[in-house]
Amino acid sequence: MTTPRAEFASGGLGYALPTYDFETPPELRGLPCAPYPVVIVGGGLGGLTLGVDLLQRGVPVVLIDEDNTVGVRGASSRGICYAQKSLEIFARLGIYERIAAKGVQWQVGRTLDGVDEVYRFDLRDNAANNASVQPPFINIQQYYIEWFLVERFLALAPTVAGSSLRWQSAVTGCTQTAEAASLTVSTPQGEYALQAEWLIDASGVNSRIRNGFKLPINGIKGEDRWCISDVRFKTEPAAERWTWIQAPFNDNRAVWQHLMADGVWRLDYQMAADTDMAVAAREDVVTERLKRQFGEDVDFELMWVGPYGYRSQMLDSFQHGRVLFVGDVAHVMSPFGARGGNSAIQDADNLGWKLAAVLQGAANESLLASYSDERVAAAAENIEITRRTMRFLAPKAGAQTLLRSAVLGLAKTQPFARALVNTGRMSVANAYLGSRLNVGNAAGKHVQNVALTVNGAATTLVALMAQMNAGLLIVGVGAGKASPAIEAALCGALAAKLKPRYIHLGDQVIDPTGALALQLGGLQDGIAIIRPDLYCAGSASWDDAPALLKRFSAELEQPSC
Amino acid sequence: MLITTPNIAKPDDFYNALLTAHEGLSEAQSQQFNAALALTLANHVGDAAVLQAALDIARASVLT
Repeated sequence: MTTPRAEFASGGLGYALPTYDFETPPELRGLPCAPYPVVIVGGGLGGLTLGVDLLQRGVPVVLIDEDNTVGVRGASSRGICYAQKSLEIFARLGIYERIAAKGVQWQVGRTLDGVDEVYRFDLRDNAANNASVQPPFINIQQYYIEWFLVERFLALAPTVAGSSLRWQSAVTGCTQTAEAASLTVSTPQGEYALQAEWLIDASGVNSRIRNGFKLPINGIKGEDRWCISDVRFKTEPAAERWTWIQAPFNDNRAVWQHLMADGVWRLDYQMAADTDMAVAAREDVVTERLKRQFGEDVDFELMWVGPYGYRSQMLDSFQHGRVLFVGDVAHVMSPFGARGGNSAIQDADNLGWKLAAVLQGAANESLLASYSDERVAAAAENIEITRRTMRFLAPKAGAQTLLRSAVLGLAKTQPFARALVNTGRMSVANAYLGSRLNVGNAAGKHVQNVALTVNGAATTLVALMAQMNAGLLIVGVGAGKASPAIEAALCGALAAKLKPRYIHLGDQVIDPTGALALQLGGLQDGIAIIRPDLYCAGSASWDDAPALLKRFSAELEQPSC
Repeated sequence: MLITTPNIAKPDDFYNALLTAHEGLSEAQSQQFNAALALTLANHVGDAAVLQAALDIARASVLT
């Protein structure tokens, strides 16, 4: 295995990415192999996040990936904005510090129409953004995240027997029975078969596995065409997200300007409907576009060019028997608000603890249906939000264009109209309001990684849960204490295998700003259950506390239908 | 509740002011004016149920 020792070296078009060697798997050495508990197909954001999450929970993982490097097709940077919830997940998975050190934080977004600013936001103005230890966003190239996750996976794999990361391994066939999924894997040394108790398809938008099962995927392919240019300037623009709705230097079409690590900027240009995209992506044409925006003597290095079209689609269910779908294979949407990569990471966060609970005997298989239910709802919400942005940025002729003109005309002087300007609503953790795992008050809401004080020392919710080796965290506030009835409810049921731990706010654990109690529905006197993925499963008064815990246990035990 | 009974003290004065505000505008400008007016008043109303009732009335009035 070749592990990169230095930072990526830049050179010409793109980056030199780390490469990993193919290793002969036991199947090709003629060794007998029992079905693996979990096989993940696809080493992108979703697959790697899930792989690391499962390894941290002690579940063996075989992760297979088609090529021998991180990133997609060379140095394509794909996702660049990582939202607070994703950063909190990465804090839990032990790679947040590397991301923070390498990436760029930003707070200010400006929207311009021609040369006029029509909308401006500062992410720090939203008090909710400041409750977390993690910032609202960090921008960084996707392959850095994948690289950090690969290194974390490789560090953890030796501690969980039966785990491996298999490069240059492509899935060529997939079938399943009620007990297991079977894969045919093609490698440089030949084909082999492997079985998985649970197969995770995280292989992206063109998944052969999903297509092989002929699962209906509903969606719309947009007509809007865009062309990305990732460039490094000698003189950098301000560290802010700028959006032009009608850019004079792009024939009054939209332009995005966003920063990344290593001083690289992403410029994304909306193209005319009849554009020949092959021509639009040619280096001389890209250079001409950049000169129109930044002036004749702009000095830059071109890192990557990518023409693309918008598309929205999703599966009806993210579970098909023994196969679970994570990320782009299950749902794609327009890029507004950075909801693609972030939702893949958050799919994995939702699935990881549930899959571990099922495999470790803490929950019935039916718990996995709640993964599909919760994340289908999240994907539908993300698609609807991006569809609304799409209608603002690429309005159809007639009423849509007329109303946008009216909004932009008013926005120059009227604050109320600026609220209607929609160039993307930034990704936030989706609430799971309809989930059957919601068993009390304030349920289904994300709980941020708030700062806490334990015995006088500063810590965070994520760090405290890791330190306590907590799966579930039961938080008590007020006069009551964990009574024998509560202890019994915690320890007597299957939920006990989820490693429930109890903290009482106000004793050793202080919630200095009140942010934790606030996020648990303004909890003043009672308890709340925080799930392993930092969502509130519900709160209740002290009198109802044992019943709350029993209801949650019952959901974990619910037999499959 | 959307008020659908007469609520403007001097309706003729208002209608006159509305026509006067359109004077000298091109067809396209007039259209954008109407859209801007609708947006401005919608913000003043604010209430989602009242706005939906107004949208329903306006849509029905052009479809019948």
